[in-house]
Amino acid sequence: MAAALEAIGLRKRFGALQAANDVTLSVDAGEIRGLIGPNGAGKTTLVNLVTGVYRPDAGEVKLAGQSIGGLAMHEIARRGLVRSFQVTRLFGGLTVRENLLTAFYARRPSANDDGEAQAERMIRLTTLGPLADTQAKKLSGGQRALLQMGCGFMVPGSCYVLDEPFAGINPVIKEVILDMIVEMNREQGAAFLVVSHEMAIIRKLCPQVTVMMEGRVAAQGTLDEVARLPAVVAGYLGKALE
Amino acid sequence: MSASFRRSAVAIAVAAVILALVPLVAGSFMLHVATIAFYYVILAASWNLLAGYTGQFSLAHHAFAAIGAYTSGLMGYHLGTSPWIGIPCGVVLAGLCGLVLGRLVLRMRAIYLAIATWAFAETFHIYLTADYKFTRGELGLSVKSLYGTTDPMPYYFTFLALTVVVLLGLRLLIDSPLGYFMRAIKDDELRARSLGIDTTKVKIAVFAVSSAIAGLAGGFYGHFIVLLSPQMIDFSEMAKIVVMVVIGGFGTFLGPIIGAAPVQVVMTYLQAYGEWNLAVFALIVIVLMRFSMEGLAALFTPLWRRVWKLP
Repeated sequence: MAAALEAIGLRKRFGALQAANDVTLSVDAGEIRGLIGPNGAGKTTLVNLVTGVYRPDAGEVKLAGQSIGGLAMHEIARRGLVRSFQVTRLFGGLTVRENLLTAFYARRPSANDDGEAQAERMIRLTTLGPLADTQAKKLSGGQRALLQMGCGFMVPGSCYVLDEPFAGINPVIKEVILDMIVEMNREQGAAFLVVSHEMAIIRKLCPQVTVMMEGRVAAQGTLDEVARLPAVVAGYLGKALE
Repeated sequence: MSASFRRSAVAIAVAAVILALVPLVAGSFMLHVATIAFYYVILAASWNLLAGYTGQFSLAHHAFAAIGAYTSGLMGYHLGTSPWIGIPCGVVLAGLCGLVLGRLVLRMRAIYLAIATWAFAETFHIYLTADYKFTRGELGLSVKSLYGTTDPMPYYFTFLALTVVVLLGLRLLIDSPLGYFMRAIKDDELRARSLGIDTTKVKIAVFAVSSAIAGLAGGFYGHFIVLLSPQMIDFSEMAKIVVMVVIGGFGTFLGPIIGAAPVQVVMTYLQAYGEWNLAVFALIVIVLMRFSMEGLAALFTPLWRRVWKLP
């Protein structure tokens, strides 16, 4: 069976900075893989390369075995590769419900499907009920993160790339997001690539992690395996995980 | 049909019935002014679709109205074509020009898009003036009247019906998935693309549709005022549309409807003061934009909610 998402030899240079230097990484079908590494290691660049925001200088991206190189961002999204942004991006002028519906219509599999019912379900799941008709720009940081996640789940994707979904959020909302990811993974068999600095969550969520440093893949394995490598301790963790 | 569409349709129908009774009390000058006000409601509402909803702040909307008017006018003048053939041709041509212009300015951000579209309008203005052998330029192009009479009554009802149809169509569009995409693009285009929205297609489609509507309004307008001149693409015309939408409520459905008529009426009576007229309105716009983009429409929102018992 083909991997859900494959990056093969991706390279991207911004001026003097080699942001991605021969990055090869694969997320198996149904896998939740962690992507960790110090700030500036190229994690977000990788996310932007696989989702079509940037064109790679070299290398290839495959979604479920099919090359998606050269496709526009919206075409990649419609093939089932869904992303979230590190700095949450929402449609501020639209209400919570309208944000969800927009996400639904954008990738709606068939014109008969009922977006309203799905939006209602997602509002319950994200616990945003009392705010359903509030403009997204009035939400708090945690609520924005929840809504962004909910938008991604409006139409099931085959692979999710989440860029720091837990950054700067309180523990209760973290749990809700965590549950949503696990449920989506179990029910729909969706694969996940989760970028995060939250080691406790990564340990719970991701059997396998990939470590990026200075634009390269530095190590792969279970969190405990990579956390023992001297280079990872020195360059990222600072001290061994307890 | 969504609930939102039904509510708007009821409100538009009630307003239309009341407006249909106006000729019983109004004199012919008032009807003339009111007919022109309808023309501006259509222009303002269709420009609002492009600028207010989709975020493409075009300054060429008056030019598309002129394309509609001149297409039908020139066909009648040179070929003797009936307005009923000329007007649809004008609509199609305005829509096609909108499609091309929309494609050209696709990647431009706010101010650059405004400048590029303004340049397009000015170019067209200069052409109409310069090629006077064909367009009659500043001499003015005589156009057949639609009903063979200068009595404003039939035109008043024609424009009332046109306005109702256009507004209902716009409401349907805004409540459709395309309407959601438009507002999404205005808020955050990158995010819209990342969700799977073909933003290129949506932006160009909206440009074409709003231009075609302007062409429709312009076509009928020409056969009502019966004398076309390049004055139709003077920048003050565009400024008027912007003023109407901002005073009424930028990016709101109600805004252009309630903004256009009062501005048009007041401007008609202030005409004696020439360009100062526009300066006064410019000042009002600056003040309004500073405090609230929702303009007069914001005053009606609580009332609207109470009538329909909305949260």
